[in-house]
Amino acid sequence: MELAASEDRSSYRQPDAGGPRPPDAAPGRPLPPALLYSRCDPASLPEDLAGAVEDAAGAIGQDRAVEAVEFAVAMRRKGYNVYALGPSGTGKHTLIDDLLRRRAAAEPTPSDWCYVNNFADPQKPRRLELPPGRAVHLREAMRRLVEELRAALPAAFERDDYRTRREVVDQQFKERNEEPFAELQRHAEAKGITLIRTPMGLALAPRRDGKVLSPEAFEALPAQERERVQRDMAEVQGELEAVMQKVPQWEREHRDAVRELNRETTGGAIALMMDELRAGFCDLPDVPAYLDAVERDIKENADDFLAPAAPAQPGVPIPAQLEEAMTEARFRRYQVNVMVDNGAQRGAPVVYEDNPTHQTLVGRSQYMARFGALVTDFNLLTAGALHRANGGYLILDAQKLLTGSLGWPSLKRSLNAGEIRIETLEQLLSMASTVTLDPEPIPLRVKVVLLGPAQVYYLLSALDDDFKELFKIAADFDDRIERSPESTLRYARFVAGVVRRDGLRPFDRGAVARVIEQAARLAGDSEKLSAGLRDIVDLLQESDELAAEAGLGAVGAAEVQQAIDARFRRGDRVYRRLQEEIGRRTIRVETDGSVVGQINGLSVISLGGLSFGNPSRITARVRLGRGEVVDIEREVALGGPLHSKGVLILAGFLGGRFGQSRPLSLNASLVFEQSYGGVDGDSASAAELFALLSALADVPLSQSFAVTGSVDQLGRIQAIGGVNEKIEGFFDVCRTVGLTGRQGVVIPASNIEHLMLRQDIVAAATEERFRIIPIETVDQGLSLLTGMPAGEPDAEGGYPEGTFNQRVAARLDGFAAKAAELARQAAALPPSRP
Amino acid sequence: VTWRVGRVVVRLDAASESRPGIDTAARLAASWRVPLRGVFVEDEELLALAALPFAVQITLAAGRGVLRRAEIEGHLRAFAERARREVAAAAERHGVEWSFAVVRGSFAEDEDDFIVAGGAARPLGGQARLPPRWQPAAHPLLLARREWAVGGSVTIMLRRRGPPAARLLAIAAEIARLGGGMLTVLGAADAAGPDSNDFAAWVAAQLEGRPLILRTELVDMDLAALRQRFAAIDCRLLVLEASAPEEELRGLVERVACDVLLLR
Repeated sequence: MELAASEDRSSYRQPDAGGPRPPDAAPGRPLPPALLYSRCDPASLPEDLAGAVEDAAGAIGQDRAVEAVEFAVAMRRKGYNVYALGPSGTGKHTLIDDLLRRRAAAEPTPSDWCYVNNFADPQKPRRLELPPGRAVHLREAMRRLVEELRAALPAAFERDDYRTRREVVDQQFKERNEEPFAELQRHAEAKGITLIRTPMGLALAPRRDGKVLSPEAFEALPAQERERVQRDMAEVQGELEAVMQKVPQWEREHRDAVRELNRETTGGAIALMMDELRAGFCDLPDVPAYLDAVERDIKENADDFLAPAAPAQPGVPIPAQLEEAMTEARFRRYQVNVMVDNGAQRGAPVVYEDNPTHQTLVGRSQYMARFGALVTDFNLLTAGALHRANGGYLILDAQKLLTGSLGWPSLKRSLNAGEIRIETLEQLLSMASTVTLDPEPIPLRVKVVLLGPAQVYYLLSALDDDFKELFKIAADFDDRIERSPESTLRYARFVAGVVRRDGLRPFDRGAVARVIEQAARLAGDSEKLSAGLRDIVDLLQESDELAAEAGLGAVGAAEVQQAIDARFRRGDRVYRRLQEEIGRRTIRVETDGSVVGQINGLSVISLGGLSFGNPSRITARVRLGRGEVVDIEREVALGGPLHSKGVLILAGFLGGRFGQSRPLSLNASLVFEQSYGGVDGDSASAAELFALLSALADVPLSQSFAVTGSVDQLGRIQAIGGVNEKIEGFFDVCRTVGLTGRQGVVIPASNIEHLMLRQDIVAAATEERFRIIPIETVDQGLSLLTGMPAGEPDAEGGYPEGTFNQRVAARLDGFAAKAAELARQAAALPPSRP
Repeated sequence: VTWRVGRVVVRLDAASESRPGIDTAARLAASWRVPLRGVFVEDEELLALAALPFAVQITLAAGRGVLRRAEIEGHLRAFAERARREVAAAAERHGVEWSFAVVRGSFAEDEDDFIVAGGAARPLGGQARLPPRWQPAAHPLLLARREWAVGGSVTIMLRRRGPPAARLLAIAAEIARLGGGMLTVLGAADAAGPDSNDFAAWVAAQLEGRPLILRTELVDMDLAALRQRFAAIDCRLLVLEASAPEEELRGLVERVACDVLLLR
């Protein structure tokens, strides 16, 4: 199948490039209409596009980037992560997502990860790795275990055998505790002393006749008796102290006995359940050890399962919600926090995180308010994108990553360490003011793909050493692709694919061809197609909408054209205003006649998503001076550096051509008239040179033309950007003022291949009402604009009479002579007195 | 059988646990719709002891130290104030009229007072306690040791049949009704007659028409065996005849873990 995507223009080359020149594209002569627009022949497209959709639509013409990504994906070594650079809207994300998903589908499904309590140190939760889907099973098994224990353990502790044994233990303690006191009391009473409970402890009191002796009664006793009482008191006090010293030991022994009894009872009650649980996970290396720790903890804390939390105030019922919270709090430590459940995953995951910050990447530790304090535990750890992508691929937007809160440092740290460590922002910034967790890090094996503009890639490469270590692969996406029969066909398939994917009306071949032509226009090159697929998708959807509004069953070229026009119309308010003001001559732009030192330059204005050409008058004035060319735009800080560079090149050209045999005793000034904003770029330097030379030669320039192109110091005209918009801008002005048939735009010959002009301009050119004229040199332009021969220099550097250059040289000679005379007059003057 | 309670008095002091007694007293007052009176009794003997020049006290925390009367009085005032707050709070919870008094040594009881006292000594530090101090009383005396919410059954021990036993049975049944309706009647094997069925029938006849879950057993009056039985049947309140031999009574009152109600 042959596609008539474009005529062969590649043979057109700059003269010094040595290539053959098409006979109908001679410099200084209007271009034939066929060179103004490169059509896509609908007949060259397959009839049944719907049956030939492009699977990897984003991959059209991006072979270099695809190769880079595939290499990075295959490389399993550290640091082979990818930075996909290129303009937005080129389908990077779609292409990479598609590539990764195809590959990921054939890769093994990664493990599940969960966090469980570390019974030895709850601040450091333990990680568990389980085969895909098993983490949820463990979580459910643990939940069931706790539920069953809450029923089984109280039952075990309610049974007669436990209660009897507990009674025995308590009674033993009670007797062991009370007997020494009772014995002491008997001994004391035998000596007339009684044991009394004081608010803080115990005291001994002498008793007579059933009553404690009053101080008066004590004083009334014989001295011998008083001494005996005090002696007895001291003796019994010693015995009491000895008993009291044993109390802590008895209590410890009682606690140990109760704990051992509880442990024994609990162990018996849970043994079967724990064995069943272990059997379900015995094939996993980490889980049995965890279950052992669970069993030990349950035995140590059986009380938690026995009764609801006691109310702080007896008889005051605990609110149901609070009781529920307290119950939940008691058993939280047995829960399993599933961080990653790959049970439903087939193959490796491909994750895109839209908001890459520290917390969304590495996860976070949440807090909850409990009794006025913020608390956390392993159940409040939440997974980040790195967890979800672990074992697979993570796609991130580089700009969002760099501007997101600490996302970039966290990603680098994780990739460098090969593990995911959940840290709160406070920990990260060493500002922790509350209890924080230090969970066991999870090993990380992920391939990260950053999507971003080229500038960010170059900046990171230059400024961030880690970046070079961690992102060794650059996948460079082009913003445009070669326009060839093959790529045209793939583009057509891509269109068909979008139509099918988005459920649009069928696009006939004419519509698809028009879309492809628009892709070339968006690329700004008749031999390229735009890789900005987002714009193309928008165009397809808008065309479909217009077809729907028109009640059509299919989209044709007319609807596509309407969509293109409508899109321009939606954003052309400023453009129309400028056109209107030019038409009203509020902004002066001449489109007919001849003027000395004045020419129409062309600039491109970009507002939002719309770019359009805008003509401006450029004027030049010359006077006697010291060889300076003044860029008025620069003087008032409206000229950018590239524009200033262009103006300085003019001075270089003048010096090279006319300064070899005479001093350049002139001053010249250049300005964009009625320009009130900034000017940059060198695409007006050719027009400025023509205006300057016109002013020097005092030869008028045709105002029917607008000129675009940059110039070098040798007088060669060089390609510029936005040639289509510039031509269209001047054409619209001419049409507003009135097309004379003499009007046209002078462009660099090297821009011919970029032409994808509007159909009305092509039609005007066909009818010879408007001309696009390529030039290669300054002299070709001068001849065209002045109607005079430019003139070639002779052996001495002189120019023939009647030529433009001779007029320039003569004017410069005049300036030089006048300057010399003034210098002589100045030398003849007496020296001035101080 | 008639039994009238005009007031529930909770007797409080610095040596006993006060909270179970206050809560139990407030619940009973609310159930019987009678006023609640809290009485904090300051220990005269302790104050007298503190006046002696050689008085010392021994604590678990600090060992031996001088016992000063002013210090003791300060402590007692603090205990009394706390007891007053707890009585007020319990009365408010249960919606009963209440009053409170601090007395030294003893207080005058009314004819129809129902006395509730702390049945457990305050622990010395951890869990160790002295044996509870207890004196037989002329009025019904409930020694409260456990929180009311703990649950369990009411158990009454009867040594013989007859009108006094029937009266006790009626009171125990009334209290059991308040606590869930489970009543266990233990009859002394040597006093219940040769036929246990006969004893059970007599008990059932006395309680006929009352909504109770009734269990009747004949038991040996062996203290150790009784304690085991009380634990097995989860006894929360043991009702005893105050006229029982003091040795036997003291053994039971001081050795069981549940609340004890002594009735004459």
